[in-house]
Amino acid sequence: MKAVLVRSLRELERAAIGWSVAVAGVALMYAAFYPSVRDSAANLQTYFDNLPDSIKSVIGGNYATPAGYLRSELFSSLGLILFLVFAIGAGSRAIAGEEEHRTLDLLLSTPVRRRTLVTDKALAITGVTLLLGTVVFVATTIAGPLFDLTVPASRLVGASLMLVLLTIAFGAIALAIGTATGRRTVGNAVAGGIAVVALIVNALAVSVPALAPVKPLSPFRWYLEPDPLVSPVRPVNVVVLLAIALAAYALAVVTFERRDLSA
Amino acid sequence: MSDTSVVDAELLTKYYGRTRGIEELSFRLEPGEVFGFLGPNGAGKSTTIRTMLDLIRPTSGRIRVFGLDPRADGPAVRARIGYVPGEFGLYERLTGREYLDTYASLRGGVDRGAIDELTDRLQVDPERRIRELSRGNKQKIGLVQAFMHRPDLLVLDEPTSGLDPLVQQTFFRLIEESRDRGATVFLCSHVLPEVERVCDRVAIIRAGRLVAVSDIGALKAAAVRRIELHLDRPVPPSAFSSLASVVSVEGHGDVLLITVRGPLDEVIKEAARHTVVNLTSHEPSLEEIFLDIYRDGGSTA
Repeated sequence: MKAVLVRSLRELERAAIGWSVAVAGVALMYAAFYPSVRDSAANLQTYFDNLPDSIKSVIGGNYATPAGYLRSELFSSLGLILFLVFAIGAGSRAIAGEEEHRTLDLLLSTPVRRRTLVTDKALAITGVTLLLGTVVFVATTIAGPLFDLTVPASRLVGASLMLVLLTIAFGAIALAIGTATGRRTVGNAVAGGIAVVALIVNALAVSVPALAPVKPLSPFRWYLEPDPLVSPVRPVNVVVLLAIALAAYALAVVTFERRDLSA
Repeated sequence: MSDTSVVDAELLTKYYGRTRGIEELSFRLEPGEVFGFLGPNGAGKSTTIRTMLDLIRPTSGRIRVFGLDPRADGPAVRARIGYVPGEFGLYERLTGREYLDTYASLRGGVDRGAIDELTDRLQVDPERRIRELSRGNKQKIGLVQAFMHRPDLLVLDEPTSGLDPLVQQTFFRLIEESRDRGATVFLCSHVLPEVERVCDRVAIIRAGRLVAVSDIGALKAAAVRRIELHLDRPVPPSAFSSLASVVSVEGHGDVLLITVRGPLDEVIKEAARHTVVNLTSHEPSLEEIFLDIYRDGGSTA
């Protein structure tokens, strides 16, 4: 039913505008900083070289190159955080928020099916994430050359796409936990916790060999390796991130279909 | 089971973990009747309703609505139901109109005139943002949403809460009009007069169990009422205790407290033989009716 999707999108309208402005602002800000960072890149590089390997592996390569700078500053720090905070918040709120605000009883007293509701909420979050990915691509494409921050468009598309896929995966995890428990805070805490742990595992695996076997479980492994700003996107990475998202979405549908709604 | 029943519950039972919701409820709603579901808060009224809409699933027993299983045939069942939950939230950022239009499209389209007529009759301004509306006005938006698609079954959980008396009258007329066009109404309430006003039959639920299903006339006839009679001089209680309709009499000088079952006629006629200074009659409370029904030990058909 189209009405559910329309309603789900309208619900995210403000968030979409707000997060787009934030993402564009952050992208522009980092682009504007680039000339001065590059000029002192030699010093920064020394600083960087002294960091532990695990931290280097997260924030990535080389401050002196545009790709290295973008990866470190935008795609694996503040930009990444903005995307994840949006998606985890929207995912855990999608169903649990309606339940906590007591709007869910009325919504599901209409002929709408539970799985339609979950699906359309998930589609709406996916849509806004795609919008944010487009914003990050457009902002870096336009602002980059103004500040000598030039990365091939194909790499920017690839990095934006991988960021979108990673974000959708975490949004779906938050959706699954929020929908299964009916509690927004649980969705936020669990999905946020998974993100932090996965990021740490991914970082420490470089220097802690014991963690190497579990590293493939970290979504960040599939997002960051190989560096999407340097190498072409690998289909297997796309597939893994999509599979995480779909599995979490399926969990959301199945648990929601089976449980009682709280009054 | 009857094929024609609008709602058919059979030993319907719901536990939330180990907490009792409802136990072994069996009842039927026939087409076109207004059925009152009366009980104190926490008795299991909302639990019963929410199984009809597949918002919760029975632990055991069975419920059919329009002959269908609300779980297997949810959309088909819910398309024909209008529902007002006991407590509900609305999308605060929308105007009443935007909210109702959303619900109209969730239901596959509703005549715009029907929405306008209802907001007009219930006196709620649909152009205002929902967050600016009072509790009573939010309740009206909930009512419009339930009535606007002219459902075959109205399921109303404490629908008059927050409504002023004038609007309550309009609400009762809406119920009567719905019945007149053939709809069935399931009205949950903890207030007896409300149920008395519009219901044909009433079920009483307490602590998760159905204690009686009765037609409203029989219930009223069975109900005991307390009369406080002030006379100008002391009269022995025996003058009243011998009357058939009197359950008990307490005398305190020139004041008599008389408990009566059924019509007051006999008591009034007896009182008229004395000089009456004052007479007050207390509507039987729900609790008194319960106690009364318990004393009789069960259900009448």
